[in-house]
Order: sequence, then structure tokens, then C-alpha cells
Amino acid sequence: MSVTAHLFESRLPLLDPQPAQAPPVRDDLARLRASLAGTAAAKMTNGAELIRALEKTRREESIPTTLAPFDALLGGGLPRGKMVELTGRRGAGRFSIVMSALAAATSMGEAAVLIDLGDHLDPRSAEAAGVDLRRVLWIRPHTLKQAVMSTEMIAATGFQLVVLDTGTHPMRGRRVPAVAWVRLGRSAEAHGAAMLISTPYPLTGTASEAVVTAGRTRVQWLGRGKSPRVFAGVTLDLTLEKHRHLRPGSNVSVTLSDPSLPDDSTTRRLAHSS
Amino acid sequence: MTRIACLYVPMFPLAARLRSEPELLSEAVAIVEGNGSAAHVVAATRRARTKGIRPGLTLAQARSLVPKLIARGRDVECERTAQEALLEVAESFSPRIEDAGEGMVFIDVSGMERHFASEKDLGDAAIRDSEDIGLPARFGLAASKLAARIAAELPKSPTIVEPGGEAEFLAPLPLARLTPELDAASTLQRWGITSIGELAHLPESELAARLGELGRDLHYAARGIDPRPLIPRALPPEFREGMELEWPLVALEPFLFIASTALDRLSKRMELQGFACKRLELTMTLEPDGYHARAIDLPAPTRDTKTMLTLLRLDLEKTPPGAPVIGFTLVAHPDRPRRAQLSLFGPAALSPEKLATTIARLVSMLGDDRVGMPQTVDTHIPDRYAIGTFAPPPPPNLRRGPRKSRGLLAARIFRPPVAVEVITRPSRENEPGEFQIAAIKSDGDIAGDVRTSAGPWQLTAEWWNPSPVDREYWDVELLQGKSYRVYRGDGGAEWFVDAGYD
Repeated sequence: MSVTAHLFESRLPLLDPQPAQAPPVRDDLARLRASLAGTAAAKMTNGAELIRALEKTRREESIPTTLAPFDALLGGGLPRGKMVELTGRRGAGRFSIVMSALAAATSMGEAAVLIDLGDHLDPRSAEAAGVDLRRVLWIRPHTLKQAVMSTEMIAATGFQLVVLDTGTHPMRGRRVPAVAWVRLGRSAEAHGAAMLISTPYPLTGTASEAVVTAGRTRVQWLGRGKSPRVFAGVTLDLTLEKHRHLRPGSNVSVTLSDPSLPDDSTTRRLAHSS
Repeated sequence: MTRIACLYVPMFPLAARLRSEPELLSEAVAIVEGNGSAAHVVAATRRARTKGIRPGLTLAQARSLVPKLIARGRDVECERTAQEALLEVAESFSPRIEDAGEGMVFIDVSGMERHFASEKDLGDAAIRDSEDIGLPARFGLAASKLAARIAAELPKSPTIVEPGGEAEFLAPLPLARLTPELDAASTLQRWGITSIGELAHLPESELAARLGELGRDLHYAARGIDPRPLIPRALPPEFREGMELEWPLVALEPFLFIASTALDRLSKRMELQGFACKRLELTMTLEPDGYHARAIDLPAPTRDTKTMLTLLRLDLEKTPPGAPVIGFTLVAHPDRPRRAQLSLFGPAALSPEKLATTIARLVSMLGDDRVGMPQTVDTHIPDRYAIGTFAPPPPPNLRRGPRKSRGLLAARIFRPPVAVEVITRPSRENEPGEFQIAAIKSDGDIAGDVRTSAGPWQLTAEWWNPSPVDREYWDVELLQGKSYRVYRGDGGAEWFVDAGYD
């Protein structure tokens, strides 16, 4: 079986496409460069080269979620042109990470899309989390198959952050074949989009660049003893299960506060320490 | 120097019909006019003409020559839309065009020499564009409308008449080219005048003395002088395509098959003008009488036929016309496609046209309330939301860093709220009326003993309505570690979970 798979992969490479060939340098430009001194020639560039260089730089960047521990786990944030899977059961903090990613991307002026299979988005709390709603396209499919189709279609439109949240268990609709995730990964790569798949259980298999698991959560309360209690937030543990370029197994903790708490560092510190 | 081009479609009724039914192109087809024994052929395809079918034959005579002749009546709707399409091709070359009817259009191409290497190239481009919309056209170019028309009617196309060479161009042509229905033709024939040049050589005053005002006009025309100015037409506010069907359609699929070709034609016409469709109207003629009309507002201007067809299909499936369809008209209301200035140094902007098409396709797949921009609603009730048209502001010109996250916990809203049973226990203060939540029970997986709860948080909203919202909210943490937002409804007896902290 593995021999067949290896043979198939060697004939039809699915995940490692050939790098695009750089177009040849025009003759007149090459002559001009040759006639200049080394430093001046190195600084000279034409429009096409500039666009290619900017595009290359852009693709090598990540979209940070600005949740420092999560970004550190992925080596800087959500990589452009790659698919990252975030798994975790209900209440594991996945949706908060999704909101942070949307908030960060839209605050940079990027357009983002949320494919919300469970219809779970609350625009008010998203706005409170810093999401610029004007730059977010909200798609609410009925089934997982529709969600995957929508993700593939929208990724080709040029959105820089594509988030697919498959909701909570159990998912509606049939399971999609594994090749669909490979196609999504290829689509993200072709269009330079950072793709985040938030799911209650692993779906993407080998197609994703990285897999992060949100595990145990600890709920934080403000107030103790006889005083009335206030829900203050949660602390969640994240584990890097897989990464193509980083060593897996790293663990971090992220603390998330309830948005109804006043934005007061003392209150938050109290909440986190309680 | 005035230069007027004429775009002419020979056998226009046939060409218009073949544009709507291209599969008939290789068949022996005749277009007939009139009913019963008065039905006569007005145009026929090449295959029919080679078998002896000529304009003027009655349908019975034509059938005796070719028993398997396909006869089609003149379709006013087809001809009107074909004429509109021809006018739009002309408008893609110059804004000053005149509709001369029956497959003919005049174009003022003065000053266009900079855009084409030669006038012949201009003619070739016009012929090519006409063929793209399914109308084989001929092209003539001269200094006057008359000379341009005659040049366009010649079989060799494009025909260019050099400036000042109109009289020389017309001279060898037969008189019938001047005006096909010439009242004075028999008189001129008796005089021995057969060509336009011979007419031009007659003295103008003598001709006017014998034939009157007609003689003077004929003499002017024969010398290539046409004082009639070009009368430009106004831009149409909408694009129409449609046809009358040979037999009534009762199933959706055959209708959509025909509608898709009409949408294709609409799309090409709008592309010629640089427009996209923002609203599509369909009017169906029903059997035995009556009409059924509907309008589809597209989420964003698009020219994507597949998208428009899908929206049409969904709409027809939702509300079928209820009777057989014997004709239809599709009207596209145009709008300028969205354009954006791309930035080199800022974040990548979305292509407006691609975005519009994708959103339209998503809407056709999911429904119009499932795709859009999330919007907040001015109310204190937490689960209210609105969805608007997605039209993002342009990205900044320069890249900027992300705003630092406040690390907030998000609530995952449950729509609709999950009904649960709540077990309570007295609060620790043992004060009457105060309690805490001890457990949650439900048929689903939101159930379990509660470790900690906090509340109630009172919410009263929309007091001015007959049924105001009056709720008490609690935050609860289950023993498994999951946390939820629970509320007690207006009556105080029903409990719901409307969000989970995730």
C-alpha cells in the first residue's frame, strides 16, 4: 500500500508543486546592468521585478493573531499560502482564537472571510473583540460539503485570511473526502491566503501545514467566599501536534478574559490570579 | 471630414432567427411571413437556396421543392433583440450611431483613424465583433450614408470608398442599388439608363423637369451626394433578449437550456458596453394567455452566465409559472462593474468583479441571507444581528501592523437557543428568592452538574413592544470545564442556553 502511495506521489506530486520559473531578464535590461558598476546595478530594478519581489515578500509573511503564545507556537502567526488546523472540543477556546485572527487581519486592512458552519458568530462580540466587520465576509453554509465548497470558491477570490469554523460536534452533512482538504491546501497555496480550519476533531490530515490542539481549559472567576461571583475568562492549553518546519509537541497557555469585564488591568490581574 | 460606416446584416430575419437557434445553421431553413396560403418565403439558408428556395415563393411551393424544409415564422422578439445587439456592436466603435432598422446601422467613425491602422482594419474589426454576437454582417465606409449603405450591400466586404470618390464608386453599379423600389425605374429603362453613372451624366435641370423632385433627388444620389445627417440614438436603459417558442414548454430543464443561450447573448452584449447585470427580469408568455413576470436582484453586478442561470433556476423552482411557456423576455438592468485601484505597497485588494461573481454564486448555492457582511443591531438583546451587502472599504495604501489583541473570550451563539431544564439550589446566603444553578439537563450534550454559577444579570429591553424582552442571565461552569450563558425566559419557567464561551 505504502509502495503504491509512494509511486503515486512520485508521479503526481500533490503537495510540493514545482516552483514557478522566473521569467527571463530582458536583453536591454541585462546590457544596461552589465554597463553599470556593481553597487548601482544591484540597486536597479524594473517594475515587473519589483512586483515579483513584493509578492514574494508578502507570501513569506504571516498573519499574526496577536495572541502571543499562539503566534509563537506557529512561528509567527498564520502562514500565508498555508492551511493550519485548530482542533479542540466545545469550549476549548477555538472561537476566541478565530476572532483574534479576524481582528488582527482586519486591523491590518486585509479582507477576511469567516465560513461559519454552525452559525455561531455574534457580530456584537466580534466587534468588541476588535474585528472590523466591514472587512469580513460572513458565509453560513448548511452542510460541511457546502462549507468546503464555499471555502475553495472564496479562497480563489483573493481574501488574505480564510477561516472555516466547522462549529461544534456533531457536524451537519456528510464527511467530505480527504482529497477535498488537499484541494483546499493547494488553493491556499495558489492564492497566497492564510487558511485556518477550526474543527472539533481532526479533519485535514496531511494537507495542513500545522495542527494545533486546544486541550484542557480552566475557567476563571472573580470573587470568592461570600462575595458575588463574576465570570472572568478562561485559560486554555494549546499543543502543537504537527508542523512541517517546526518541532511538534510544544505547549503554551493562553488566557482569555470575558469582554464584559472593564478594561482594567487590576481587575484582569485579579481574575487571572484567582 | 465626415466618415460614415454602415453595418448591414443581409437577410436579417433569417440571421436573427439563426442567432437564437444556431443549431439550424446547417439545415434547410426558410423564414416565412403571413398565414395560411398567403405565407411566403422572405429568406432562406444557403442549403435551402441551393435547392431552389427563393424569397417570394409561397410556403407550399417551397415545400414542393424541399419536402423537409424547416419553416419558421418571423419572430419579432428575435429581430428586435438582434437589432439591439447590432447597435451595441456599433456603439463599441463610436458613441454616434443611427438605427436604420432591419439589420442596418450607421456609425459616425470620423476621427477614428488613430485607433486603427487603416479603415479596412476598422471594417474587419466591426465584422468580427458582429460575428461574435451571431450576426454575419457586411461593412461599408464612405463620406455619406447613401454611399456607405450601397458599399455595405455589396458582397465584397469590407468596402471602403475613398473620400471624394463616391461618384466614381457608384458609377458602374446598376440603378437598382440606388433604391431597390424605384418608381421611375421603368421610365429610366426606356431612356436606356441602366447604371448609376449614366444617370449622373444626365443634366440635373432636364431630369428635374421630367421627373420632378424625385429626379433631382435621384441625380444628387447618383453623384454620391446625401445631405441627410446622421441622427444619433440615445443609449438604452436596459438590455433585452427573448424569443417566441415553437411549442409550449412545461418542464424547467428545456426552458433553462434556451434561457442560458439568451443569457449568454445578454452577457456578451453587456461586455461590449462595459456593463454588468445588477437586476434580471424575466417575463414569460403563458399558454393560452397571460404573463408571468419576476425579478431577481443580483447581490453584485456580474456578467457570469452560470451564476445568473443558477439564480434563475432557483427562483423558478421556488415559484413555477403554473402554465406552459410559449415565449419569454429577459431584461438585464445594467450597472458599471466595480473597479478598484490596486496598491503596490498596501494589503492586496480584492478584484471587485471576481468578488461579485463569487458572492453571486455563493448566494445561488446557500441563499441570499447566508452570505454578506455581519452587522450589529442597536439593541441590548445579545442574539440580534443583521447581514448586509459586503462592500469592504479600500485597503490602506501602506502596510500597517495589527492592533494588539485584548485577549478576549468569544461567545459562540446558539441559533436558536437550546431549551434546557435547570436544577437550582438556594444561594449560600440562604436568603429567600435567591438561588444558584446546580445542574443543567437537556436531550443534547449541553448537560451536567454545575461547578460554579454567577448571576442573575437582569435584561429588560423593548419595553415599548406588546411583548417586551425580560430575561435573567447566568454564567455557568459545568464540571467538565465547559462554560455557558444561560437565561430564564420572560415567563420565568423556561430556561435556554444561548451561548457557549469558546
